[in-house]
Amino acid sequence: MLKSFRRAALATVITLTSFGTASAYAEPLKVVASFSIIGDFAQNVGGDRIALTTLVGPDGDAHVYEPKPADAMAMSKADIVLVNGLHFEGFLQRLVEASATKASVVELTKGVEPIAMKEEHAHEEGESHGHHHHGDTDPHAFQSIANAKIYVKNIADAFCAADAQGCDSYEANAEAYTRKLAEAETEVKAAVASIPQDKRVIITSHDAFGYFEHAYGLTFLAPEGISTEAEASAADVAALIRQVKEDKASAIFVENITNARLIEQIAAETDLKVGGTLYSDALSSNDGPASTYIDMMRNNIATIKGAIMGS
Amino acid sequence: MTSFFNKASAAALLLGFMPTATLADEQTAWRLFIADHGQPAVHVIDAVSGTELVSFATRAPATLYRSGSGRTVFAVQRDGNVVQAISSGISTSDHGDHGDLKVEETKLLDMAVAGTRPVHFVDHGGNIALFFDGEGIARIIPESEVLAGSPSVREIRTGAPHHGVAITFGDHVLVTEPNKEKPDELPVGIRVLDAQGTPAGGLHACPDLHGEAASGNIVAIACAKGLLIAQAGDKGPSIGFLPYSDELPEGKVTTLLGGKGLQYFLGNYGPSAIVLIDPTADDAFRRIELPTRRVHFAVDPVRPKFAYVFTEDGRLHQLDVISGKITRSLALTEPYSMDGHWSDPRPRVAVAGDAIFVTDPLKSTLHMIDAASFEKTRDIAIAGKPFNIVAVGGSGEAH
Repeated sequence: MLKSFRRAALATVITLTSFGTASAYAEPLKVVASFSIIGDFAQNVGGDRIALTTLVGPDGDAHVYEPKPADAMAMSKADIVLVNGLHFEGFLQRLVEASATKASVVELTKGVEPIAMKEEHAHEEGESHGHHHHGDTDPHAFQSIANAKIYVKNIADAFCAADAQGCDSYEANAEAYTRKLAEAETEVKAAVASIPQDKRVIITSHDAFGYFEHAYGLTFLAPEGISTEAEASAADVAALIRQVKEDKASAIFVENITNARLIEQIAAETDLKVGGTLYSDALSSNDGPASTYIDMMRNNIATIKGAIMGS
Repeated sequence: MTSFFNKASAAALLLGFMPTATLADEQTAWRLFIADHGQPAVHVIDAVSGTELVSFATRAPATLYRSGSGRTVFAVQRDGNVVQAISSGISTSDHGDHGDLKVEETKLLDMAVAGTRPVHFVDHGGNIALFFDGEGIARIIPESEVLAGSPSVREIRTGAPHHGVAITFGDHVLVTEPNKEKPDELPVGIRVLDAQGTPAGGLHACPDLHGEAASGNIVAIACAKGLLIAQAGDKGPSIGFLPYSDELPEGKVTTLLGGKGLQYFLGNYGPSAIVLIDPTADDAFRRIELPTRRVHFAVDPVRPKFAYVFTEDGRLHQLDVISGKITRSLALTEPYSMDGHWSDPRPRVAVAGDAIFVTDPLKSTLHMIDAASFEKTRDIAIAGKPFNIVAVGGSGEAH
């Protein structure tokens, strides 16, 4: 029974495996990535030298993810566990404890300059002592491509520390991927620059785009705070509707990880048409438009620009 | 809040209760609520000191359930035709970078929900659904209103008395469909009702329905041939069917528990086996043989890796839910045979922080086991036949 469970666990959670083509003299490095974006970074850096397990897969919401016994099993066998940190993965601590993993748990936001969560939500939650799990720091640092480069460097460093023989390969892969990231960032900046200054306020479901806003100059409003777990207050929703009616927001979007109902309600009470789906905390499935991090960033800015310029 | 806690602490000291300080301002408090098997009494024990804080007289012998929040303990009195509620006096809240703990006096609340033969209790998301078998009526009350003392009661009538259950699911309610031809038998399925009580979709067939649990964002309901699995959909709950795997022998689940911290379900499967269930895995069922017949089981909400099973040979077993193996066993009581009536006094298990507690009704004793070493650390004398037990508590800062 246990054997069959292990087979099932591997089939369920391993998204990309690369046995056999790694160096003949070494087992692939067993890497667990907490969610899909980190999984994509890890695969780009690790190439065929790693066996990758991604816990929260495409379109999955790490904020409210409930880890499974199979996840604990994967973690117990891992050499390296790559996580975002900044309290993004609320499930992480109990999974580390349950699995008793001896792997290095690497926080990829190390070296990122953290930004605070948006003031209005910090204020409300502080007053009400409502449920949230992030402290006061916005954890979505990966929404800035400059930060993604830091994630990638941290991954390369972690892989080098665990597998010195593969270090040259990891560093070369990281360098090549970082160049692609830089190209994507140039495109994002150019797209934002083409949007008129007075059209740069948009609405999404939850506060996932603080770093994007900080890096590229769009303003994102959201009825939910930085965790999808916290419910939006009626006052937040009313304030957003008022903003739209005063023509202060140019477009509204649903997110791939959140229920669209709230956004559809806001759209219904205003004249804004939902401008499409933004990929916030997770990639799309392979047949979607954002199955890699770079595709996600390109898709998001194209969707935003299309909705604003078409409005 | 600081002054509030000071007052609460003073009250607690008067009652012989002292929260355990683990850091300068970090407190730990756990309380055990134990119902007597034959007498209409609930004893409240401080799990840290082992002393009895208070006892309450109920109207009839009770089966106890705690709410998900731990703020309320419900005394379901099947033969008393009533459900009473006790404010546990302990509440915890999570603030991301720290948690808060508030400790107050335990008290029997001045409210009761009356009806014929209440049996099943389900708290899902703070809405308490009580099912009264004798009427075939579910009565739903928000926990917040229970604590305020005057809950509004929403009634859902199923059309016939039967051994049923209701589960709130956001704005919707899942409720059992009685076997119309043979109402004495188990329900035949689940209906989904919207906020107005209108059926949403058809019947979800589930012959011999008995046993339900929630783990994370999944609700599982046990049927003759598999489980109904309910998850949030775009417009209310989305319900699918997970058949028992071909590898399982003939049998079915009739009691379910939901994992805390890890998402899994633990069910019985025949008298001397249990199944670990991960509805999201390709191979969803792992069956574990027990050395003898199962008396009771409980999941560990503090150490998600473990659940515990008490068997009729008087032993408590530690189950590793990741490996699917019994990792440790401890001889604790004289044998308690599962022959005889299903409701005879037999041990029950609850987890309170770093300790596991097992009632030993025929010895008027509560056994305390250290969860880390899995060794018995003390016996606590409890008057009468201590039977059903729930634990409430936690750690946090006291502002």
